[in-house]
Amino acid sequence: MNMNCEQYKEAIAADPSASFGDGATHVAGCNSCAIFRVELQALDGRIARALAIVVPELKIPELPPVGDGNIVSMPVGRKTRRLAPWLAIAASFALAAIIGVQSVGNAPDSEYSLADDILDHIGHEPAALKVTNVPVSDEEFSRVVNPSVGSMDRNVGLISYARTCVIHGKTVPHLVIQGREGPVTLLLLPDEMVERAQTIDRNRVNGVILPVGHGSIALIGERKENIGEIERKVVDSVEWSI
Amino acid sequence: MNSNDADRERRSRFDRAVGVYHPDMYRYAVWLCRDPGIAEEVVQEALLRAWKSLDALRDDEAAKSWLLTIVRRENARYFERKRLETVDIDNLSPAQSAMLAVKDDPTLEDLRRAIFQLEDDYREPLVLQVLMGHSTREIAELMGMQQGAILTRLHRARIKLKEVVQKEAAA
Repeated sequence: MNMNCEQYKEAIAADPSASFGDGATHVAGCNSCAIFRVELQALDGRIARALAIVVPELKIPELPPVGDGNIVSMPVGRKTRRLAPWLAIAASFALAAIIGVQSVGNAPDSEYSLADDILDHIGHEPAALKVTNVPVSDEEFSRVVNPSVGSMDRNVGLISYARTCVIHGKTVPHLVIQGREGPVTLLLLPDEMVERAQTIDRNRVNGVILPVGHGSIALIGERKENIGEIERKVVDSVEWSI
Repeated sequence: MNSNDADRERRSRFDRAVGVYHPDMYRYAVWLCRDPGIAEEVVQEALLRAWKSLDALRDDEAAKSWLLTIVRRENARYFERKRLETVDIDNLSPAQSAMLAVKDDPTLEDLRRAIFQLEDDYREPLVLQVLMGHSTREIAELMGMQQGAILTRLHRARIKLKEVVQKEAAA
């Protein structure tokens, strides 16, 4: 196919350095396009100089030891405080209430851990912990688990809740999967490196923070919930973006 | 190899990649966010992320694209976090004004300003092609778009800049 002037000019304006078969044939016999090409190549030279801004002295930030960045650990020897009395509450908000009451019992220490932050957050978002068989929409799921975070196969269970939340100072996906015993909170934490799995074991709550690649995930459910079963599905399905 | 050797090797690999492409990361960040101060922050965050994710870089030959991808995502995260408004061209900060100045060639200043004012969708592929030397296929991959759409944007960006240069010459 022979190029006409319009096609040639479009192509050469997209990449003035390119040399393409039909284009070379066309420009050899078209003075107007030959001039256009020379003009654009000159323009590109100027664009390159305009883009080449002066670079200041750049410094490499202090790099954390490998596998030690933002290590999550339960503070050793932290004080345990007496929990507020358990109150009977509606079944659909049971887990939120458990966590909420525990959070009240565990006022912030100077070393406020990721696990504390997670439990606090769950306690403050009880609407997430409804027992339901209605899945969150694909649109909402994709908005929350977006390419800047990573990808995840949503077929790990019935995901009933997806929202972007701030945990430990970072904006992360907060999901809820319907487990056998009730709602299970799943937090995707691409920027929280943990050295090894951390179990969360508090009264009626059972959970884990697990290293996954250069980040981690947190899963929190009711005490009888088989977190390990969900954990295996989720770990295999999550892939962080770089 | 013991863990100290492994750490040293990892650091050395990181330094090799970053040593070469650090200025490119900064320039790309500046043209993405149009603010030298924010660009420095974005690049710092990108370096930390690159360090943590270094094992994901399978081929050192691909380090440049890999680092630029991290800068691009970090820039998006930065703006998502801060919920910043777009840059107001009429109220530039001193750092932005300084960035637009071209001391050795004042004739480039209008062109730099025109590039600064291009829509993000046009400016970014132009920077990647002209400054970073990426092919249109590589740009399409990095931006998650079709190659045809990239070609259209590059064409439009250059036509807009050509008009600026022509006006400047006529004046």
